[in-house]
Amino acid sequence: MSNSHLFLPSGFIRTPLQNGLGRYIPQLQRITIKFCKSHGGSRGVRDFIESDLMEFAKTNPGTVVYLKPRRHRSPCMVAEYLNGEREYLSCHEFSRDEVYKWLSYMCTRSGIPVMRFRKYQHTDYPTIQGVWNPFTHQAPEINVAEFPHEVLSKPINHGPTATEQLIEIFKKTQLEDPANKPPN
Amino acid sequence: MVLDTVVYCSRLTAAVNVISKRNFKAHWVAPTLRELQRRKVIEEDRGGGPKIFHRSTFLEWNYDAEIFAFSNRLGEKFNDSSLRAALTHKSYIERETARLSDIGVESNLQFQDNEALAQKGGEIMSKFINGYLRAVFTQVPEELIRAMHDFLTSNPTLETVAKHIGLGDLMLCADFPCKTETYVKSFKAVVAALAESSGEERARIFVQDLVITQLYGQDVNELWNPVDPIGNLTAILKREGKAEPEFRLIRQAGSNSILAVYYVGVYSDKNFISEGAGESLEVAKEMAAREALKKFFHTEDSMRALPFGRQLKNIQSKIAQLENQPNVPLSEWISPKIMSAVH
Repeated sequence: MSNSHLFLPSGFIRTPLQNGLGRYIPQLQRITIKFCKSHGGSRGVRDFIESDLMEFAKTNPGTVVYLKPRRHRSPCMVAEYLNGEREYLSCHEFSRDEVYKWLSYMCTRSGIPVMRFRKYQHTDYPTIQGVWNPFTHQAPEINVAEFPHEVLSKPINHGPTATEQLIEIFKKTQLEDPANKPPN
Repeated sequence: MVLDTVVYCSRLTAAVNVISKRNFKAHWVAPTLRELQRRKVIEEDRGGGPKIFHRSTFLEWNYDAEIFAFSNRLGEKFNDSSLRAALTHKSYIERETARLSDIGVESNLQFQDNEALAQKGGEIMSKFINGYLRAVFTQVPEELIRAMHDFLTSNPTLETVAKHIGLGDLMLCADFPCKTETYVKSFKAVVAALAESSGEERARIFVQDLVITQLYGQDVNELWNPVDPIGNLTAILKREGKAEPEFRLIRQAGSNSILAVYYVGVYSDKNFISEGAGESLEVAKEMAAREALKKFFHTEDSMRALPFGRQLKNIQSKIAQLENQPNVPLSEWISPKIMSAVH
């Protein structure tokens, strides 16, 4: 259907260093916001810095925020994660809300690169009772059985054959109305 | 459509993940980038690999802010001096004093190194790990506790933990890229600094949350196994007053082929204890005895999940109590003296 998965690496969902098992450690280490102080393309970034940045920094004290005003450059942000990965995003002509949205997106990610999840669950202990093998639930009687065996040699869950079913029906009709002639 | 692609930026030496958009690029952009990449590859081959720079050489770097963020990221409060001392290595101090004396400046630097802190941190970390293991694995002999402790305090494990909490950029050391021992020393010193700043309780929870969680997903029976499982099983059953273990062949398949499998069951007075499988009868016998021992130690594959985080609230006092009380060693475990040794 869609081809977004064709070049996207795929894998199972995972987290660095069992994050969340003991305590949750926010994975965003630092974010660098580069912008121009006068160009129009950085307007959204400038508005964001003036209004929402302080609140963001207060709610995320584990992330260092660096601001780099650079003339004649389009705005961008580079996020660095605890596992060493970096992520670059161009913020050219973003609105203030878009900048906030993308920044909070960076915040909630671990540094593991975007990939197609094959499954949305992962476990290190896939089996508790043990993986099935052909000997599971086999009756121990097969160990000392002499073959051919009247029960074990036959197929299991055989069910009555058509002949046997007809004989059953015949016997039932016999019991219900013995006076009538039996159907052939 | 927005796709993630990897871009090689000429200024940054590491590969950067880009959230890219569709753009129309001029006809000269691709050839220019191709030529730059070609020259970069030549330079790197000449220089023996890509150049790497420490994060502190970048213009956007504020060590005080990084330290502040480090303690907040972990949710802990550190004394500033303790934390800075924990991150400063002797090699760094020596290099700085040598550099300053080369210039000719009087060097009365007030740096404190992390040797003592690392030593103390290693001891208290071992103590916390042993306490947790003995409180969770109550029926396990001390040899397995020691094996699990050695796995958790091994250099690869601690280096992974140290790298993933961000110590790589914060350490002040002379070697770059930093060696494994440097990471491990810094981490141990950070644990000691935390114990100094916030108390032993917080340091214990810190070690539980960061180091002991590395045991999750690891099969503890791969770390240690008794040498003579059949002998141990016989001794245990004898001291419990049960009959001798009897090994019976339960299942077999392919006995004349390479892929032979034998299932051997252990019975004591016709009561089933455990079964084990192997490619020959001797191997299957030993596996069955090992399974029986796993049942006694409560380390089977179906054992209870290890508790972490909030689940440890109720047993913290028990953990603290068992830090100095080793479990029973295997030789005593199988002997008649042990009838009432349950924590």
